[in-house]
Amino acid sequence: MTGPLPALPVVLPLLGAGLLAALRKWLSRAAADSLSIAVAAGTLISSFLLLSHALQHTRVYWFGNWYPRGSVVLGITFVVDPVAAGLSSLACLLVLLALVFSWRFVDAGANHYHPLMLVFLAAMDGFVLTGDLFNMFVFFELMSTAAFALCGLKTQEPAPLQGSFNFAVTNTVAAFLGLTGIALLYAVTGALNMAQIGLALGSRHDPLVLFAFTLLTCGFFVKAAIAPFHFWLPDAHAVAPTPVCVLFSGLMVELGLYAVVRLKSVIFQETFASSETHLRYILLAFGGITVLIGGVMCYAEHHLKRLLAFSTICHAGLMLAIFAIQGPLAIAAMLIYLVAHAFTKSSLFFVSGIVLHRLRSMSEHLLFGKGRSLRWTAALWFLGGIGLAASPGFSTMLAEAGTSSAAQQVGLHGLSWLFMFAGVMTSAAVFRVGMHTFAGWGDAPLTDLSAQVDELPETDAQDQKIFWYHFVPPLLCIVFAVALTFIPSWQYGVREAAARMYNQAAYLNTVYTGYSVPLQAPPSWRNEIPGAALRGTIAVLLALALACTSVFRGKLARSLRIGAFLEGPLTILRSVQSGHPGDYVLWLTVGLAIFGSASLFLLR
Amino acid sequence: MPPILHSLPYFVAAWIFCCGLYGLVTSRHLIHSVICLAILQSSTYVLLLAIGYRTGGAAPVFADIAPGTLTVDPVVQALMLTDVVVEAVVVALLLAMVVKAYEKSGSVSPSDLRTMRG
Repeated sequence: MTGPLPALPVVLPLLGAGLLAALRKWLSRAAADSLSIAVAAGTLISSFLLLSHALQHTRVYWFGNWYPRGSVVLGITFVVDPVAAGLSSLACLLVLLALVFSWRFVDAGANHYHPLMLVFLAAMDGFVLTGDLFNMFVFFELMSTAAFALCGLKTQEPAPLQGSFNFAVTNTVAAFLGLTGIALLYAVTGALNMAQIGLALGSRHDPLVLFAFTLLTCGFFVKAAIAPFHFWLPDAHAVAPTPVCVLFSGLMVELGLYAVVRLKSVIFQETFASSETHLRYILLAFGGITVLIGGVMCYAEHHLKRLLAFSTICHAGLMLAIFAIQGPLAIAAMLIYLVAHAFTKSSLFFVSGIVLHRLRSMSEHLLFGKGRSLRWTAALWFLGGIGLAASPGFSTMLAEAGTSSAAQQVGLHGLSWLFMFAGVMTSAAVFRVGMHTFAGWGDAPLTDLSAQVDELPETDAQDQKIFWYHFVPPLLCIVFAVALTFIPSWQYGVREAAARMYNQAAYLNTVYTGYSVPLQAPPSWRNEIPGAALRGTIAVLLALALACTSVFRGKLARSLRIGAFLEGPLTILRSVQSGHPGDYVLWLTVGLAIFGSASLFLLR
Repeated sequence: MPPILHSLPYFVAAWIFCCGLYGLVTSRHLIHSVICLAILQSSTYVLLLAIGYRTGGAAPVFADIAPGTLTVDPVVQALMLTDVVVEAVVVALLLAMVVKAYEKSGSVSPSDLRTMRG
């Protein structure tokens, strides 16, 4: 395969965005919608073509034919391996679904919405495909800037400005941390290409390299919403338009983790070969704390989108914990979890968009009993909740099986408990909201300060009808999340892709020679599936029970009102989430100091 | 040049970074926050230029100097220029948000802007 196909997933949406921005004042809403959907669909096709080629051979594309000379790389490259092409396809698919969902319906902010969405797509595609560290930073910034603008699209009220401002400040600081890390790596190795940096670093791990590693990792942790870098995420999610939330939670947050995995596998693989156990415990600690904070706060929230945002934090922490195990099998499990979570969470956000459209509110308290007539919406909402708990049938369960299989190989125990905690807390919160809103069961919901700030509906008040195209995106997401469980060839593909991603020598060889060697895929996790299915079922049942202790708290003895207690004060955690950008930057600095000192002492 | 002068730019970069960070953390004014962010970013300029500096190197414009002449590293200068563009975009966007916030709430204090917490 020759030709500039690898550049298309970035070039196409950028061209489309330019066109849409230029014609913004003259295009009707329907024309802007159709044009942007057409561009997203075209990008999806090009990404799929790339993926189908990448599954056989990793493709290395040098812009302007600036091939490497010896070991020196001057050109910029796109390395299209299955993971990159797959994530690029996922990004296109989610953007396409989000655009279909917002057809004639979501306030487009004077047609600014479509070009921004396409720029966002181009940046995500470039971010995953690039093999150049500085290029990655540029796409990271492009992605962030488009995201800030999309997040603050509804400027009629102060809350979106607050969310967007906090988001912008924390993520920009993160980008500069990353840039400083890149500059230090350049100072050490004289290279910007990831493969060349990896080659030049070798097994060197002096304090300077560790410092660069800390800066880069923490920079991407901010995007990935790992505690204590996560504070911007709920503020931003609560105010962004629903289709934008889908992209934030479905993919943007996870791309932060993708970057950490990529850097670790390509650049720092040899560096930490001697201290793998210590790195594992550092990452596990950060992931575990994130799961705890995300899970507890998720259940304590009463604003639908904020609740889902905290559940994203919880699951991002879980993905970091899976990655912490290290090895191709763990990366395969993490990738499966990433895809399954993207579909499940997107579906839930789409449904919350339908709720906001029909019932004009996001506060659990105000929604109480209002959704009794929305049967399909309720069904999709509960299905999403079941998916979050890694129940049998959803591909999240496969990831659970893969994780326990990978964890056993390195002698780690207890990750299943973390999985179960995350599943129970987040899906119980979803069930609780569902029981209150769509069934009207039990006592009036509790509430909190943020849920009182009700969201301005993002659609026209006169037009509250629901059309088929509102249901197609969430339904498709659920169908994908379930169907992927039953396609064994897909699972094999992911394992092979993970092996290729994790193997530093193979990556370097591919970048320099252009040829990829087929690698042995890690063994299947088939033995673990019955156990994972059992744990998933238990998690769903526990989540239902927990939700019931909240909903029917009036009928229960005081000691049994566990759910209502968990919804309660939690004053410390709530007061930390202060809504003040300065506080968030302070936490970021604290996290950086902790991670930095831990890696300096333990990874030397 | 004494060795201390070689490492001076790195201390300056770290110092500017900390100044920006301190300003961001203690800021009680939105425009002040944005400017602190710009200050924080300028530390990366100093760092990049310091990394690319070669003692006695000429400017990397090869129109009127012979190939092979010692020059400072042009790559980091390209990075720095990209960095400047990025900063301009982010600062412009943030300032636009501050203007909007002032229109809506009549205040430029982050405490008055915040409606959600907990």
